[in-house]
Amino acid sequence: MRLVIARCTVDYEGRLRAHLPEATRLVMVKADGCVAIHADGGAYKPLNWMNSPNRLVMDDHTGVWTVRSPKGDVLTITLHEVFSDTAHDLGVDPGLRKDGVEAHLQELLADHPGSIADGLRLVRREFPTDIGPVDLMCRDAHGVAVAIEVKRRGEIDGVEQLTRYLDFLNRDPTLSPVRGVFVAQVIKPQAKVLAADREIDCVEVDYDELRGIESPNLKLF
Amino acid sequence: MGMKFRCERDILQNALVSAGRAVSTRGGALPVLSGVHLVLVGDLLTVTGSDIDLTITVRTTVAGAEDGVAVVPAKLVTDIVRSLRPGAVDITMEGDELSMVSPPSEFAIRTIPADEFPELTAPEGDAVTLQGAAFRGALQQVVKSASSDDARPILTGVLMAAEDDGLRLVSTDSYRLSVCDLAGTSILSDGQKVLVPSKSLLELSRLIGDSEELTLRLGQQEASFEVGNVSVTTRLIEGDFPNYRGLIPTNHPNRLTIDRGALLDAVKRVRLMAQESTPIRLSMSSDGLELVAVTQDVGQAHESMPAAYQGEDLTVAFNPEYLIDGIEVAPGDEITLETVDELKPALLRSVEDEDFLYLLMPVRVS
Repeated sequence: MRLVIARCTVDYEGRLRAHLPEATRLVMVKADGCVAIHADGGAYKPLNWMNSPNRLVMDDHTGVWTVRSPKGDVLTITLHEVFSDTAHDLGVDPGLRKDGVEAHLQELLADHPGSIADGLRLVRREFPTDIGPVDLMCRDAHGVAVAIEVKRRGEIDGVEQLTRYLDFLNRDPTLSPVRGVFVAQVIKPQAKVLAADREIDCVEVDYDELRGIESPNLKLF
Repeated sequence: MGMKFRCERDILQNALVSAGRAVSTRGGALPVLSGVHLVLVGDLLTVTGSDIDLTITVRTTVAGAEDGVAVVPAKLVTDIVRSLRPGAVDITMEGDELSMVSPPSEFAIRTIPADEFPELTAPEGDAVTLQGAAFRGALQQVVKSASSDDARPILTGVLMAAEDDGLRLVSTDSYRLSVCDLAGTSILSDGQKVLVPSKSLLELSRLIGDSEELTLRLGQQEASFEVGNVSVTTRLIEGDFPNYRGLIPTNHPNRLTIDRGALLDAVKRVRLMAQESTPIRLSMSSDGLELVAVTQDVGQAHESMPAAYQGEDLTVAFNPEYLIDGIEVAPGDEITLETVDELKPALLRSVEDEDFLYLLMPVRVS
């Protein structure tokens, strides 16, 4: 994590054009490549940002940083005066603790792994890796190891988390190849895109159905 | 940059209210979007509000004295203008303050730097003209069935697709589905379809009002509608809409035909006892229709009404709000409710107008 406090201007060109005039701000460059520009206010939303994957070119001579997304969006940060420039290795984040529904969902899926995919059988819950336990480790009908991350709401963070587990698990020759499955009640479209890009399957499950409760509100699809 | 003009309060208020409908209420990454953008060139005042996904621009004629640009907090300025006495308002930009004078009231408010307001471009495709009343009616028939759940963005849109020689609008939140055909309205090429956010179309239907016509320009990622002096530009939703055709049963053995207004009134009355997510039950027989709602520990409501019914005696329960939505937007005085059984989707249609259908899933009851 690189943190730069600087007097800067920021220009964004993409679906729209936006300009942040010269002012003192915090520029964050995260380990995964995300770049965010913060003002001294607001709880969490940056003034402007660029998600990873992107290409960041820092020209420390001119003070111009250019962040370019694969779609061609460009974020240009011009540093006029740098007050602080520090870098820290934060390591791997353990993630949020699961709430009651999420833990129960994991328990139900461990009892019924076939509801995720036909032929799946449980090896172990909370399967350990060097960076923390993966929710479920299973074997598919062909004996291939399957690492499953369970979330109540499937977002990009969950896909990132499973990607890290898979990276470690696939280093173990007794397990490799390990494929990943991301399971949630609802999975956001961006998370599905990222998962597909990383060859991780996404499965949406119905919590009530797993609990054996049929919703009275019938659906068309 | 200075700005000075005089304008009737009502004209300014209308422009601010219309543009303000697109102003972001969520705050977010661009605080400037909580403001409306004012541009004065000569006597032409352009007022724009945007949350990036939806942009509404109103052009109006004022007595201009000095050209200029300003961004002002949308809600505050609208509330101020609305509160002024009827008559002329003098607006002057001095430094970073906008003064509004309508004797005996004087207001001065701090503006938001105008250069932070994003430059938003509208699509430049060929303009197609639509009939105002017909398009507004079609929008009103479909927007309510769209989902408001952002977790399923595809369902928050209304599908606009070329169908035979006209335009078809479709929306669904997975509990109900609305389909409306606008015959003879060819705005899309064969096979072309776009998914437009229902929120944008709801605002558009309000702005169409009594306008006789509107124009549409379609771009790759945006659609822009012009209604009189107002333009509405909305982003399009990317993705594939569910295959809705297979959801509509081809054979409904039971058919209830009933006066639309009488049914609407009766459902609204009985609904008062359908509390805490309990459904309303419709019992259909050759004797007519009976509506029942029971909420435990609260009470019950019961109403019988005459209706023509063909088929087996059947009781089906529905979410009362969804049922009302369908009855309200169905055209004509008489409607039919076609059913298969108590668990399969029911089809609500107008007797006089085949261009609208409303498919509604029942609620399971013990």
